[in-house]
Amino acid sequence: MNEILLEVRNIIVRFGGITALNNVYFDVIKGEFLSIIGPNGAGKTTMLRAIIGVVKLLSPSRIFLADRDITDITVHERVRMGLAMTHQIVRPFKSMTVLENVVIAAGHKRTGNPFSAMFSFDRKSEIEKAMNLLDTVGLSDVAEQPVTGQPLGVLKRLEVARTLAVNPGLLLLDEPLAGLNHVEAKKMADTIVKINQNGLTIVMIEHNLAEVLRVSQRLIVLDNGFKIASGNPDAVLCDSKVRAAYMGKEKINAAA
Amino acid sequence: MLYLELLLQGLIQGSMYAIIAVGLTLVYGLLRILHVAHAGLFALGGYVGLLIFNETGSLILAMPLAAALVGLVGMAVYRLCYQPILDRPPYVALIASIGLFIAMEELFRLIFGPYGLTYKNPPLQAYVNLFGIHIRAAELCMVGASITLLGVLSYLAQNTRIGVACRATVEDPEMAASFGIDAIKVRYLNFFIGSALAALAGIFVSLLSNLVEPTMGGVPSYKALAIIVLGGLGNVKGTLIASLVIGIVEAFGTIYIGNLLDRDAIAFAFLIIVLMIRPQGLFAEK
Amino acid sequence: MGIYEISLGTIVCINIIFAMSLNMITGFCGQISLGHAAFYGVGAYCAGMLAKAGFPMYAALFAGMIFAGMTGLVVGLSSLRVREDFLAITTMGVNFLFLGIVRQQDFLGGELGVSSIPSHGMGKIGFLVFVMILACLVIAWSHMIKRSWMGFAFDAVADDEDIAQVLGIDVGRYKLVAFAIGTALAGLAGGLYAYFARFIVPDDFGFITSITVLSMVAVGGIGSIAGVVIGTLLLTLMPEMFRFISDYKLLIYGLLLFGVMRFAPEGLAGLIKSFVGFICKKRAAL
Repeated sequence: MNEILLEVRNIIVRFGGITALNNVYFDVIKGEFLSIIGPNGAGKTTMLRAIIGVVKLLSPSRIFLADRDITDITVHERVRMGLAMTHQIVRPFKSMTVLENVVIAAGHKRTGNPFSAMFSFDRKSEIEKAMNLLDTVGLSDVAEQPVTGQPLGVLKRLEVARTLAVNPGLLLLDEPLAGLNHVEAKKMADTIVKINQNGLTIVMIEHNLAEVLRVSQRLIVLDNGFKIASGNPDAVLCDSKVRAAYMGKEKINAAA
Repeated sequence: MLYLELLLQGLIQGSMYAIIAVGLTLVYGLLRILHVAHAGLFALGGYVGLLIFNETGSLILAMPLAAALVGLVGMAVYRLCYQPILDRPPYVALIASIGLFIAMEELFRLIFGPYGLTYKNPPLQAYVNLFGIHIRAAELCMVGASITLLGVLSYLAQNTRIGVACRATVEDPEMAASFGIDAIKVRYLNFFIGSALAALAGIFVSLLSNLVEPTMGGVPSYKALAIIVLGGLGNVKGTLIASLVIGIVEAFGTIYIGNLLDRDAIAFAFLIIVLMIRPQGLFAEK
Repeated sequence: MGIYEISLGTIVCINIIFAMSLNMITGFCGQISLGHAAFYGVGAYCAGMLAKAGFPMYAALFAGMIFAGMTGLVVGLSSLRVREDFLAITTMGVNFLFLGIVRQQDFLGGELGVSSIPSHGMGKIGFLVFVMILACLVIAWSHMIKRSWMGFAFDAVADDEDIAQVLGIDVGRYKLVAFAIGTALAGLAGGLYAYFARFIVPDDFGFITSITVLSMVAVGGIGSIAGVVIGTLLLTLMPEMFRFISDYKLLIYGLLLFGVMRFAPEGLAGLIKSFVGFICKKRAAL
């Protein structure tokens, strides 16, 4: 049962002189709902960006997906292998409709090779799949509308639907609830749980601790680029190091 | 001796590029647009300066007056041409700017004639002996003026309120706005300063050749773009160094590989090589 | 049809192929190019030289296409390194580099260019029909690409390449394909131009030509096939239409470029679209 899907080893990332991630390691078990928490600037987003492949890693960092070393593989290939990521700041394709945004992602098999893509025109099955996904996240009634001018709640859901369209085995979510009000956040979290129950492994970054505790099975805590704790949510929150990290930050924030 | 002479040639040319390119890089830093029509203002400066000089016979009067007038025109260009299209994709402002530049060149030709104008009794034409190398007084003045002006500007940028506001806005417009800096005022000021500097460069160049002609903005229009890209787009210090580097590379290049490539091609070949190694230019912002 | 109309028709069709080729790169794939004339030139020189060496027309045109496409692929590699404004200036540099190289090569005729290129042997009307068919094929092909998954992926790359990548699109490969197809078609247009003019000089392929073709695309409406055809027709024929005021034709050209970008940044296609939308709304209201 405890099959390891993703293995992250000794991740080191530096920006200029700052070490954003320092020797971080953890496993993601197939089918689980894992959340990464930590104060601002702890390196959480950098961690997700490292997994998807848009951040340069220093040796001896290694990332394995289903036992295959993907450290030196390009982003789009990782996506084709089953990784997918949503962004905290949503960036839909502005020139397209809501539906088209999902269709282009659903067509990732067709767009794999530019030359065969040139002779491929049929979009029917991708549109069907996209409509289903939009239905899952509750957006089917705005499908035909242009993306520009849609409220944040819609765009956040679109981001999830679009990412699901690439058929991921492991979904990385960067603050999917940020900017949503209480009701919207709860609805969104429920949608994510539903997606997880359908068999998708999830790694989520989120600041909304109430929702995190409600939905996650396991927590990892980062602080200043270090992993300071991991385990089941209740135990992690009692950990003195975790409390110190959060309290300390708050004290500093209060002082400033 | 040849080396020294080439180096000096390069520095003279480079200091001319510098006063043109600084305005361009400021505009880029503020608005993220490639302001090709800047070269039109450079030519306008040449015309206005020459007309005032020929009327009054005084260079001391012609230079600041032309600079101020062209500075005002620069502000008008911002208000009328760029401000309304800032939130469009970047090529929109670029093509609009190119159109404006073509129209300006044509206006100069239609108003002042295709063959250009010359100075009556051109000033600063005497040769000066500098370490055994003869250079013209106008060249010396141009180098002196560009060092002085850019020095004064950098002093103001470091030590005055509005200067600090300008720098902050060029570096990070959103952050600066959140500190309550009036971005619009900063933009006007930058267009004024940048255009005034371009006008002075136009006057110096016309003194060197004793000619202002409609097409004199042609070379600066693209060369200055290459320089600000090399300097890291929006980076003032980088732009100054890049100006001198391009000036020197051209001076040496035309002597040593001039039979392979012409002057422009040398500058751009250098630029492309640098960009392939450092895609953000010599002096990246981040 | 007089000789004048025939040659005007031929040049319009050549320009349509040329503008469509840039539209592939800039309109479809969103990669700005300020040096497209270089590839037009590569095609023209290659076809012209081969024609003079006695090769048949189809072979010369095909070779020009392949050679231009290969050069384009190399330049396309730079689009993987540099982005947006940096890419714009890099491609501009490629144009100057091309000119610089061609000007200094004796076997390419240097400044004097290549003259007495052999005739295509089709007669003027025959050649017009030939070029017209090619233009129609290029338009049809563009249309096909736009509707295919390839065009859809281009949309994504043009819109936001980081996101396209995260959705599994091989952004680099799509950019290279766009560059290869676009520059090969530019090479074809250049080859046709060489056969049409039978005399080519470096200045035919300068920065001005790059700007002109970019203007055709932008004035028509970047990315819109019908728009680009209209833009090309307008900008090719306009200087002819204004021959009676020939002294002002460049001024009008510059002002038109500026005016379209300033007041209708989506080009004529965007203007027509919003006009139709307006009419429809009026109808719906009634």
